[in-house]
Amino acid sequence: MQALDKALAQVGRVVLGKEEQLKLALTCMLANGHLLIEDLPGMGKTTLAHALARVFKLEYRRVQFTSDMLPADILGVSVFDPNTQQFSLREGPVFTQLLLADEINRATPKTQSALLEAMEERQVTLDGVTRPLPQPFFVVATQNPVDQAGTFVLPESQLDRFLMRISLGYPAPEVELQLLAGGDLREQVRELQAVINSEGLIKLSRVVGKVRASHELLDYVQRLLDATRSDDRFVAGLSPRAGLGLLKAARAWALVSGRDYVLPEDVQAVWPSVAEHRLSARQGGSVAAITQSLLQSVPVIRR
Amino acid sequence: MARIYQVPSHTRLWLALAVLLCSIPQLVKGPLWQAGLLVLVILIRWLVEQQRLTLPGRMVRSLLLIGAVALTFYSFGRLYGPEAGVALLVSLFALKYLEVVQQRDAYVVIVLGYFVCGTALLFSQTPGMFLYVVLCMTVLTSCLVGINHSDTRASGFLHGKRALVITLQSIPLMMVLFLLVPRVAPLWNMQVGGDKARTGMSDSMSPGQISELSESAELAFRVDFQGDVPPRAQRYWRGLTLSHYDGRTWQQAVPKGQLESEYLYRRGTEKPDWYRKLESRRSYEQERYLYEVIAEPSQRRWLFSLAVPFPLDGDMALAKDMRLVANQPVSQRLAYRVESVPAINEVIGLTPQERQLMLSLPQNAGKKARGLAHQWRKESSSARDISQRALRYFRDQPFHYTLRPPRLTADPVDDFLFRTRRGFCEHYASSFTFLMRAAGVPARVVVGYQGGEQNDMGTHFLVRQYDAHAWSEIWLEGEGWTRVDPTGAVAPDRIELGLREALENSEDGRDLLADLGLRRFSDGGLFAKVSQWIDYVDFRWQTWVLGYDRAFQSDFLESLLGAVTPARIAIALIIAVAILMGFYAFFLLWQTGNEKLTLMEREYWRLHQRASERGRPLVAGLTPMQLCQAISEQWPQAAVAAENWAKYYQKLHYDPLSPPDKQQKRHLRSLRNRLYKLLD
Repeated sequence: MQALDKALAQVGRVVLGKEEQLKLALTCMLANGHLLIEDLPGMGKTTLAHALARVFKLEYRRVQFTSDMLPADILGVSVFDPNTQQFSLREGPVFTQLLLADEINRATPKTQSALLEAMEERQVTLDGVTRPLPQPFFVVATQNPVDQAGTFVLPESQLDRFLMRISLGYPAPEVELQLLAGGDLREQVRELQAVINSEGLIKLSRVVGKVRASHELLDYVQRLLDATRSDDRFVAGLSPRAGLGLLKAARAWALVSGRDYVLPEDVQAVWPSVAEHRLSARQGGSVAAITQSLLQSVPVIRR
Repeated sequence: MARIYQVPSHTRLWLALAVLLCSIPQLVKGPLWQAGLLVLVILIRWLVEQQRLTLPGRMVRSLLLIGAVALTFYSFGRLYGPEAGVALLVSLFALKYLEVVQQRDAYVVIVLGYFVCGTALLFSQTPGMFLYVVLCMTVLTSCLVGINHSDTRASGFLHGKRALVITLQSIPLMMVLFLLVPRVAPLWNMQVGGDKARTGMSDSMSPGQISELSESAELAFRVDFQGDVPPRAQRYWRGLTLSHYDGRTWQQAVPKGQLESEYLYRRGTEKPDWYRKLESRRSYEQERYLYEVIAEPSQRRWLFSLAVPFPLDGDMALAKDMRLVANQPVSQRLAYRVESVPAINEVIGLTPQERQLMLSLPQNAGKKARGLAHQWRKESSSARDISQRALRYFRDQPFHYTLRPPRLTADPVDDFLFRTRRGFCEHYASSFTFLMRAAGVPARVVVGYQGGEQNDMGTHFLVRQYDAHAWSEIWLEGEGWTRVDPTGAVAPDRIELGLREALENSEDGRDLLADLGLRRFSDGGLFAKVSQWIDYVDFRWQTWVLGYDRAFQSDFLESLLGAVTPARIAIALIIAVAILMGFYAFFLLWQTGNEKLTLMEREYWRLHQRASERGRPLVAGLTPMQLCQAISEQWPQAAVAAENWAKYYQKLHYDPLSPPDKQQKRHLRSLRNRLYKLLD
């Protein structure tokens, strides 16, 4: 697990003072899930995605979503080649290992759903031909929570496709000072050393599945899920898919923390980023506050 | 998914066991070929299971079927009737088992099995047989559970356990149905053989017959007294009176030309004169005993009772010689209630024909004895005086009471009175009656049982075959038939203490008891205790379960419901079943809703509670480590102990690779205790 620590340290060199978020992002990748970063522009989303691609030696592409974008702009298109008299597929940017989908909420729902389907199926069907996406395949999507003019907000059902949602937030003053004193960030990202290659990452994500979870822990996870369903401050509770995602994320978190079995702390650590974007509160409620309060009220040990 | 319809392998074993157990009661008493058939069937099934044989085809099965039917007919002479019918059923049951392939066939065998093991109760209704049938039903239910769980991986053992639970749960329901469902009169009269009587009184008495009975400790009947119990010396259980003597054997006889309707009185028929006289005196007498007799099957019609019995139940008659006669031979246990009034027998006169019969003696027997009797008659003033002389004669001359008397030669009366002088009750009763008749006093021999011992547990008395006894009754003018027991003159212990104690007190008697294996009943050891208990259970079974007949039930229902109408019975049934079901439902809900906490969980909450009570209240959602931190914040001195506890706890509780063993749990508890003390 030293490799993981090293990877964290590497990314930490360019994304300063965000250890918690970096660890969550790494966890998300190990759990084979897609990540949604919700932040204002200029908070280092792109840097984070790019840095992750570097340390894991992943093929990296970036797509800036706009409202006039079509599904073909992402997935690819068949073009007629006059020389061979045949159609050939020109692959879109989705055929990569790490795709940064910047401001995903700017695209029309049609384009959004084309990407989200590709995320779920890990394959793309064009003109009746199905092509698998590269392995591993991660999407890091970003969203601007404030500037909502002319955007298409992702509905909850689509948000469910993202294993985690995190936000980076402003850096702490001393960290910001350090940032200001440093050199060109792009330069620094390019200088980052690859720690593991993509095969190593696939192997690691297989190890995640072997992290042990006791019956008592599963019981706790179930009671947490149950609590969201019986709490009438939420419009609807978490789905079983969300439950499976929560457990997987907790396993990955345990692995990143250097343990081979899951503790309730692991569940609690990934809980907000896994649960919040999947839930919506009834009027006047704050999803973050309610999900946090559930951690307080649901007994960790059965009684 | 055709496989699913096959009988799963673990259930096939249960099924074989069920078929075997259900058939055993029939095999034990049935013809030998039936056991052979079952062994053959089970062998074939076993070979099929081992894949060394395929299931026999239609031809073989047809031949077996025809053979079984033919053998049943050959063994019983017919195919209907309870014995032959059950035998045929068991054979067909075995053959049906032979052709089980699919679940459907297994269901047929199982349902048939419930019926087959039920038929065992036709022939024997002991508590042991009842338990055996319950066992059979449990095994059959295991098969049912097994078939319905064919797609799970539960073991056959678990099916058995579940079936046992189902059976136990059904027992209260069974009791409700037993108590409330109205008994229907039998639709047909089953003449079932029942337990064959092995020993018992015969209808005649010749030397040696009763002493043979004395060697058996088998039960003759039980008596349950309500209220007063007569003393042992008064407990003469009369069975038969014997009036005709041929020089060797005493036999039952009635005067010539006596009509049965005059001699026997059945309830509901016209009352003969003598019965009217008895009845008119019945209510005047103070001394009376009320009791219930539960007679073991004897295949005889006579029943045992104390003097002047008035039967309280039907199905039996009172004879003029003051004894009870059943309408049919007693082939199964029979319970009957009697009221005895000892003091009223003098009101019945003696007709000339009867007097003649009671004085009759064989021509050539007992010349010397007759001489002795004539002499007494001359010297005495009354019949009572004569009987006193006779008793004194037995007492004064060297007569000896023994169970193993020497053989008597040609003239038994003279030979016994003047030569051997060693004998048993039958010898004394016989010779005394002979002497009385020779002296002109009407006399008869009575055979029955004397005494009986009380069971330690219950209130009831046990009368065993070794209590068999014979005594005399003589006719005294103005007093009627009077009991005289010449054995009492020779061996008073026999009457006062019973045969066993009487023998215990004499030297050769003790050896004899040991020979007969009777001693063990008296030594008060474990065996005696156990046998007393078994007897008590058997007795209660008889009175409470088998005795719960139509009359008893309608009494019970009347006291429960006020009036016995179909509507009320139905309502009572519905309410009782609803209460039971409600109880089960409640129990199920309670059980699922209240899963018990494990020791680990209790440990955590104890600490949580303690910390919340002593410090600031803590939220429920604390992981062990967070609890430890909360404790360390408030009790810095406990920080190390808390961390030790939390680390140990989370490893034990959350790592499935190391589930806590006993020692680790103990260690955890000690860690918690250490921490506990620091939280003040």
